[in-house]
Amino acid sequence: MNRKLKVLLIDDHPLVREWLTSLIDQQPDMAVCGEAEDVQSAIKVLKAASPDIAVVDLSLKDASGLELVKSIKAKWPQVGIVVLSMHDEDVYAERCIRAGARGYVMKRESTKRIITAIHEVHAGRLCVSDQMAASFAEKFVGGRAGAQSSLQDLSDRELEVFNLLGRGLGTRQIAETLNVSIKTVQAYCARIKQKLHLATATELLREAVRWHDKQSEGAGVA
Amino acid sequence: MEELAPKVSLIYILSQSVVIRFAKGAVVPGDRMGWSSPSHDERVEQWIGRHSRGQIILACVLATFLVGYVDYLSGPRIVISVVYVVPIAIAALFAGPVPAVGLSILSILVSLVSDVALGLSINALYVPAVNGVLRLLFFLFLVFVLSRLRELQSGLEVRVEERARALALETAERQRLEQEMLEISEREQRRIGQDLHDGLCQHLTGTALASQVLAEKLDAQGRAESEAAHRIVDLVEEAISLARGMAKGLNPVELQADGLMQALEEFTATTTDLFGVTCRFECPTPVLIHSPNTATQLYRIAQEAVGNAVKHGQAKGITVTLEENEDGIRLCVSDDGRGLDKGAAGAKGMGLRIMADRARMIGGRFNVASHWPRGVELSCLIPQGPQMEAH
Repeated sequence: MNRKLKVLLIDDHPLVREWLTSLIDQQPDMAVCGEAEDVQSAIKVLKAASPDIAVVDLSLKDASGLELVKSIKAKWPQVGIVVLSMHDEDVYAERCIRAGARGYVMKRESTKRIITAIHEVHAGRLCVSDQMAASFAEKFVGGRAGAQSSLQDLSDRELEVFNLLGRGLGTRQIAETLNVSIKTVQAYCARIKQKLHLATATELLREAVRWHDKQSEGAGVA
Repeated sequence: MEELAPKVSLIYILSQSVVIRFAKGAVVPGDRMGWSSPSHDERVEQWIGRHSRGQIILACVLATFLVGYVDYLSGPRIVISVVYVVPIAIAALFAGPVPAVGLSILSILVSLVSDVALGLSINALYVPAVNGVLRLLFFLFLVFVLSRLRELQSGLEVRVEERARALALETAERQRLEQEMLEISEREQRRIGQDLHDGLCQHLTGTALASQVLAEKLDAQGRAESEAAHRIVDLVEEAISLARGMAKGLNPVELQADGLMQALEEFTATTTDLFGVTCRFECPTPVLIHSPNTATQLYRIAQEAVGNAVKHGQAKGITVTLEENEDGIRLCVSDDGRGLDKGAAGAKGMGLRIMADRARMIGGRFNVASHWPRGVELSCLIPQGPQMEAH
């Protein structure tokens, strides 16, 4: 018989850890090899137990789970990461996946899905909700690929505005940085939205942040 | 005798106008309450105020001598002794009762001297002296009345000022308390929301997992009760969703800078779904708000305004606008409803006041405008200069 999957639980709520452990241990093919409630002890267990899968909560006591996901990805690339979070997937799922997680499960639907997610991620597949997967696919086909090509349509100035938006600057700050009026920045934003087929300012901002993150990730690797 | 007549009438007119002015200045404290702009009474007071008490007394003494001289010039048959009242009244009002009494005595003496100078023999002074004593009594009575009046007036002024100051303090205190109340309620809501999210929801997650463990165990044993256990898992997960919904209502704006944009987008969409109105969110460029309190208060203003439009205004179309312009960050809620009643009272008026309080709390300017023939526009502008956005 195959050896059991070793799962590491990182969650700051004891009750969740306790019963998640019971649930996982109850499965025939997996076992919990360690628990941690914060990043420090998580790193210790990671070194000692060499788990196959890490289940990470996004809100930990001493740091953001997202950072932990990034460092696990960097130091232990063989460990599959499933994010288990109370937060809505439409806000966080994509960021977690981009940070290196392979699965995202919301706690309110975790009970039945967490075991499936562990299996899927161990098998090397991405595991998010159907809705999320559809939205990813859409972004890849329409949005991102589309956006990528339309980014070429942006003028230098528009690209500059887009980049500053991605860096988290507000309209006023962008106006000051580029030494133009707020109205001008608004006009740039309107044109960017039009060119990238984005309906709202929220979408514009999300797209800009995503693009900026991707740029900086690329820069980090290179 | 003829050449004296114009002089006398001139003196009479002058003295009358002066007496009337001072009498008005002394008797009408109403001007001090701020209903009228500075009148000439106040100008007279200011003019008097620029001179010291000594100067006033000196002027009054000189005036008395002047009147005595005119008394002398006008001859024995014209009695102008009433004019002596003028310097006495001025002294009583602006220099105090003691100089006024002194002046009263002086004016009697001056008038006697003028009588003597006019050729009245010392022996025949009996009648003017008796008249003089009677006049003195009248002057003293006048001095008493005027000083008393002056006292009352200044007392009243002091009291009015005290009251006004107390009222201003009280108003400021009330505003502070209202804002504090809003802050506390917001903080408490956030705390309860946070507790629900971090405490109760996590606890329920643990419970759901525990039920799942039980359900799987029962499954493994082939027991019929497993179905009930699975049902419990579903119920607990529903409870998590409910608690999350409540947490969201209590703490609607996520902490990051674009939290308000997201929250308003979600809120307008929900309003459209729930109330069968068209509630649009317009936000031409990303508006980032780094203070969670500002973001939350703006959200609450939008929430209240949209609620009013739906409930009281029976609006069909509502637009929530969040934008950044040269003046600052502006939130605006406009609708096509019935508009505001004159003197919106009760719950609605209270709602407007709370919105204004919220705006004030975050340093914003709140404005309500009724549009003809339909519709209301509520807006809140948070002024922002280049230096304010620096960090």
